[in-house]
Amino acid sequence: MDLSDSASQVTATRHGPTEGDSSTPIRLHAADIHKRYGKNHVLKGVDLTVRAGEVVAIIGANGCGKSTLMKICAGLVSPSSGVVEVDESMAYCPQQAGLMGFLTADEHFALFGAGHGMDRSEAQATGRQLAKSLAWDGGMTTQARHLSGGTQQKLNLILAALTDPDILLLDEPYQGFDRGSYIDFWDWVLQRRDAGKSTLVITHMLNSLDRVDAVLDLGTKAAADS
Amino acid sequence: MTKLFTVAEMMGRDLARRRVALALLAFVPLLFYMARHDGNPEKAIRFAGLGLAWAVSTAGLFLSNTTKAVERRLRQTGYRPAHLYLGTLTALLTLGAVLATVYWVLIYLDQDSLARPGAVAIEFGLTIVVAAPLGLLISAVAPHDLEGTLVLISITGLQFLVEPDQKLGKALPFWSTQQVGTFGLDGGDPEYLRKGLLHGALYCTGLILVTAVLASVRLRQRKHMRIRAAVR
Repeated sequence: MDLSDSASQVTATRHGPTEGDSSTPIRLHAADIHKRYGKNHVLKGVDLTVRAGEVVAIIGANGCGKSTLMKICAGLVSPSSGVVEVDESMAYCPQQAGLMGFLTADEHFALFGAGHGMDRSEAQATGRQLAKSLAWDGGMTTQARHLSGGTQQKLNLILAALTDPDILLLDEPYQGFDRGSYIDFWDWVLQRRDAGKSTLVITHMLNSLDRVDAVLDLGTKAAADS
Repeated sequence: MTKLFTVAEMMGRDLARRRVALALLAFVPLLFYMARHDGNPEKAIRFAGLGLAWAVSTAGLFLSNTTKAVERRLRQTGYRPAHLYLGTLTALLTLGAVLATVYWVLIYLDQDSLARPGAVAIEFGLTIVVAAPLGLLISAVAPHDLEGTLVLISITGLQFLVEPDQKLGKALPFWSTQQVGTFGLDGGDPEYLRKGLLHGALYCTGLILVTAVLASVRLRQRKHMRIRAAVR
């Protein structure tokens, strides 16, 4: 793992299964990322490398650019400068559930699965299996708008993970989760790590940091004119 | 084609479940028709056509705005902008075709002196073919529902107020249907029909092209991204 940022610091690291092995494939490499919103220089030369089998957390105060960095890595927002190299097997889970409220979970699986070239039954079977691993069993034919906030977030997460991507970018994925779901989520992330899959996650929950391989602290809110 | 039809199916399901909104929209042509029903049947049919246009464009505006929440994610899963756009358009055209058929049958049964019922069918068909991409274009340009609705109200209002032979008339999206209406309801020359069809076809093509360009720009792959095949 390799994290550096001129405006932030690595505040905690833990050796993951691939630590120190330079032959381990790089799943994501962001180099010298800058982002300005007018005079507000939010991200200043952020470098970030995530290798296969690593779980990396991004932390920092509100407004420090965590979600912006994540969106830049996902290719949804352009940086002011900098480059991101990422495996094609990448998926992004947004902070706000990007769902269609009038569609059921099964219909979401079919819609997202078709994009990946999965047939409907395969996509729905995979989605239901992932739901079980997050302690969500049943309600697959309920419209998303009638699901609880936590269950909507689980659906949001499952849609990103439907094809078991090599690297998963998660922007505060467990908002609304109860404690059991939160534990299930981390068990699932660690199972992915054991299988050589990478996860980049934004979190505010400090007790989750001991379960990640590295932490990128983006610090405090970027000051205007800084 | 599987991707396109999957999008169309899901958009259709989403639309079909908005029962209250759909019912209200479906009544708009009826209200417009009834407003002129007694005094002027030709005007009543034209107003029904504009009500149909309003209903389909509004459905397109709201459906497309709903899709904005997921379209970037869908793009990442492997959909092209064309799948998302054409799939949504297909769902809208299906809804419009159902509404147009219902109102054509209603008018056919209600009007005793309808000289060219086929022309009314063409007028309504042309209406939905222009209204559906118009709603999607407004959604692509206006950031939120409110702004989009205001734009749509302005266009529809102008369409009511501006006479077809005024200069501004030809620039409006439903000038074509007014021409077809003149042919069908006022016993006009076939030249009206030809002009109407040509205007409708050009307008529809323009709307689709502009929206497709906007969608391609909005959903483009960003320059800073270097996507590479996974290394095992």
